[in-house]
Amino acid sequence: MSATALEPAVRTKSDFWPKFRRNRNAIAGSIIVAFVVLVAIFARVIAPYEYDETDILFTWAHPSAEHLLGTDALGRDILSRLIVGAQVSLTVAFAVLGITLTIGITLGMIAGYFGGRLDAAIMRTVDIIFAFPEIIFAILLASIMGPGILTVIVSLSVVWWPGIARLTRSLVLQLRTELYVDAAIASGTPPFTILLRHLLPNIVAPLIVRASIGVGFIIMAEATLSFLGIGVQEPRPSWGGMIRDGIVSLRTEPYLALSASTALGLTIIGFNLFGDGLRDILDPRIKDR
Amino acid sequence: MLSYALRRLLGLVPVLMAVVVLTFATNHLTPGDPVGVMLGDQSANKVLEAKLRSEYGLDQPIWRQFVKYVSGLAVGDLGLSYRIVGAKVTDVIGDGLKISPVLALAATAIAVPLGLVVGVFAALRRNTLADTGVILALTMGISIPNFAMAAYLMYLFAVKLAWLPVAGWGSIAQAVMPVGILAIAPAAYIARLSRTYMLEVLQQDYIRTARAKGLRERLVIYRHALRNTLVPLLTTIGIIFGGLLSGTFVIETVFNIPGLGRLAIQSIFARDYPVTMAIVLLFTCFYSLINLIIDVLYGVIDPRIRLGTR
Amino acid sequence: MRKSWYGIGLAVGALMAAVSAANAQPVFKTNIIADPAMLDPITYSEIIAGRIMDKVYEGFSANTAEGKIVPALATEWKGNENGTVWRFTLRKGVKFHSGREFTAKDVKYTFEQLLTPGNKAGLNSDYLVSVAGTKEMKGGSAKELAGVKIIDPHTIEVNFATPDVLFPIYPFYLMDSGVVAEHGPDWVTKVSSGTGPFKFNSWRRGVEVKIDAHKDYWGGAPTIGGVQFLIVPAGDTALSMYEANELHFALLPDNLARRLINDAKYKDQIVQSPRAQINYMGMNQNLYAPFKDKRVREAVSLALDRPAMMKGLWGGAALPLNGQVTPGVAGYSAGLPELKYDPARAKQLLAEAGYPDGKGLPPIEIQSTEPSKDELAYYANQFKRVLGWDVTVKVAERATHIRQMNAGEVAFFPWGWTAGYPDAMYFLSQVWYSKSPYNRSRWSNAEFDKVIDKARTTSNADERYKLYNEAEKILMADWGTAPLPILSNIALRKPNVKNVTMTPFGYSEFNKITIN
Repeated sequence: MSATALEPAVRTKSDFWPKFRRNRNAIAGSIIVAFVVLVAIFARVIAPYEYDETDILFTWAHPSAEHLLGTDALGRDILSRLIVGAQVSLTVAFAVLGITLTIGITLGMIAGYFGGRLDAAIMRTVDIIFAFPEIIFAILLASIMGPGILTVIVSLSVVWWPGIARLTRSLVLQLRTELYVDAAIASGTPPFTILLRHLLPNIVAPLIVRASIGVGFIIMAEATLSFLGIGVQEPRPSWGGMIRDGIVSLRTEPYLALSASTALGLTIIGFNLFGDGLRDILDPRIKDR
Repeated sequence: MLSYALRRLLGLVPVLMAVVVLTFATNHLTPGDPVGVMLGDQSANKVLEAKLRSEYGLDQPIWRQFVKYVSGLAVGDLGLSYRIVGAKVTDVIGDGLKISPVLALAATAIAVPLGLVVGVFAALRRNTLADTGVILALTMGISIPNFAMAAYLMYLFAVKLAWLPVAGWGSIAQAVMPVGILAIAPAAYIARLSRTYMLEVLQQDYIRTARAKGLRERLVIYRHALRNTLVPLLTTIGIIFGGLLSGTFVIETVFNIPGLGRLAIQSIFARDYPVTMAIVLLFTCFYSLINLIIDVLYGVIDPRIRLGTR
Repeated sequence: MRKSWYGIGLAVGALMAAVSAANAQPVFKTNIIADPAMLDPITYSEIIAGRIMDKVYEGFSANTAEGKIVPALATEWKGNENGTVWRFTLRKGVKFHSGREFTAKDVKYTFEQLLTPGNKAGLNSDYLVSVAGTKEMKGGSAKELAGVKIIDPHTIEVNFATPDVLFPIYPFYLMDSGVVAEHGPDWVTKVSSGTGPFKFNSWRRGVEVKIDAHKDYWGGAPTIGGVQFLIVPAGDTALSMYEANELHFALLPDNLARRLINDAKYKDQIVQSPRAQINYMGMNQNLYAPFKDKRVREAVSLALDRPAMMKGLWGGAALPLNGQVTPGVAGYSAGLPELKYDPARAKQLLAEAGYPDGKGLPPIEIQSTEPSKDELAYYANQFKRVLGWDVTVKVAERATHIRQMNAGEVAFFPWGWTAGYPDAMYFLSQVWYSKSPYNRSRWSNAEFDKVIDKARTTSNADERYKLYNEAEKILMADWGTAPLPILSNIALRKPNVKNVTMTPFGYSEFNKITIN
């Protein structure tokens, strides 16, 4: 990959939007993403019932006018839990993203810019975490901390930041030789200013692409942890946990498992399409599509 | 080449050492007491508890436990299982060791060619309805969680239609569903990548030259384009294999396959540290080894890559 | 040895399966959720091992599905007035799986093995604590158990340092004293050393445990050729295997069972039995001050809608429990008043205690383990709704939860206690006696303790049962706990399988199973 290829392909809005409008993936993806995000933000307003309101004499009800998707093992409204589940999924996804981007970009830039021992120390740590298959490491961490939403966020963050750090470092390494960086160093600009002013803006695009594709994986990982019983805990709903609880009654009342799988699948599809679209627009390497 | 491979192999040593330290630390920091698990609900027998604790060396300071573990590791002694009384870890994981790698490799063997064919197909028909359909199907392939898919397919094929056995391991029929489900996500992933790479390659000058020379389209694709698509794909196989090893945790549990993944989940919940540590270590070794092999192969296939440069 | 587990286990095991399949007598297939932790009658300490070993080993007596004690390896037993001596007449003509005859020296050997330091003896060693000479054995100063006297090959006398009126009903696993000499110290991996209707065949870790019919069983050879316990950790996988005819009898986890119990499709296949297990709400006064007030404890009980819980949470597969002894266990009292659901009275009591509408009640966590997460969510929501009390759910890792409960560190928890033998003493003395290590809610009542102490030395059964009833009344009058419904053991049985069911204690006998 040549250094010029890393010049942000999109410098102005006028360049972004026409490309966006021509990209079917990006449009379809962003519609789904926007929908899920809105549902998550206004979850407590639009959910017809409290997500933890039990009615144990009305369990596993079939869909009806009162309960559009039926009720679960404790007579709780599945639709309401699905909606609040969106909030849980996205909270985890964005928290993990926020943490991993902050840590990964900071450490990646430090490693790439300063090199030397600092670089070696950071990259060895990255190598070690990379040596584990990621979900296995997350499961191990989650089992230490005990189940819960915080556990999920922390364990997925630990697993995810090295990828961001490695990408950032390689991007910085390539920019490091650019003339304008040399010029800035020569004119005595402090390293901090160079990192923030000159380097960061030029590596943002590939990082955004990476992040948007990562969201789908994070949501899936959260669901997997919850499915295995080490994720989000009762009475908070998680789509992964709902699928697990629903499999029990797959034969008779499949509404819980099916609706949670659909919500989960659709959301991940949305983020994946959105991420693919963004990559096509922002990453100049792939001109066609 | 050999010196590179050796250097990489040596480079693995500190990483694996760190993995040993990390798994040991995580396992011992875990709340939950293996002796408590051994004793069960109905025993508050302090004498037995103390006896078990000293038997398993759990009354020792943590550093001494660590020294003992590492020195055992050096001679291939992974200690005793905490859950199954008196059983050696090597015996407990023995059978699973013959299953999980086979499962992951079988899924890789299916996923790679399948993904490649689909990806190339889509690339050659880019921007047609077929292409869009394939892309959508692929996105769905990596978006539906394998645990949900496993539950639905098991119900459909094993219970409703009775075409396949529900669970277990040993026959081809029993392997069809777990291997197939494990292969879906990596196949979709490879297909998406190979489509992208293929599109990229097709725009390269040498392809245009080949076409301009009047070479038959099929020849252009197979001789030139496909070969150059394969090279970058190779690097992703490591990632895919790692994902498959993780996938075995869920799939083995759902399909009741007595492999390392199911055992790992059971051991984590039962606080069987020695077994958990052994499995994580093994998986990490597989993963590192596969990545190493791929790196070396990569150098063989594509001489443009200068080995040893970071 | 390793080879006998795997090499032979795998290759020959498959061969033997093929051979035994060719035999006329079918193999009964059922499921267990994990590998047994051991198959050794001395270290035996957990429920999955118990499910298998109950078919392989026997004690002096056995209990029927109704909780009645019947003679097994002892044909009769006699105690002295205050329970300090028990004399057992052993059954004649009983053959171990090895073919050796069962005699008094095997009983003595088993007891001594249970007490030998270094043997890591499990649950069954607890039953020997009152036998004379136990301390010396455990301390290593004696090689033989002084309290046990072999009178003749079929008579044995046990003397006690402190009286133990229940000794004959303890479920010992009496073992063959010649097994070590024949097979060496790791005999457990090769054979079994019991007298039961089935003997060990093979154990493929993570896959299955197989036991074969013991043709020389004193009660007659079993009608089936053997039993295959398939290891299936996931409940819904077990259900699918059952539906696909890969299991004859599927033992189901609670959450799955409560789904199927009212399903017409399974109506004729469901077998269930209420468990010999008390359930209770633990309320630790030392950790949560409002529990010191009896009115608050009563309000907790009144806020629980038990009929709705039995129907909604457990699919009707539950029975009311008004005290802390289950029916079918000796000493059960049917006369306790029914526990009412009365939100108004609960609120009133709470107000009288100084917490009108729950105001002033500090928030609390209700803690239990993963399988009870649904119940926890219900309790939290119900207490909030009825009492205005802020209760949050805490799902704890099992061993941690048990350790914390034993240490008296959990304020509020629903939990259960399964009878090890069918006598109310088990529940009352272990869960509610103030000095018991399993008194996890730390409820303490001197009067209650006094009655239990008296019952311990009362060998007359009827008199003892009266004392149990008295103790139970004291416990309930003080609202020491809010009893929770009794749950059921639930399983699915294929229509072509007969003469096997669930009992309060687990599987019924396998001896007479028929498979068409």
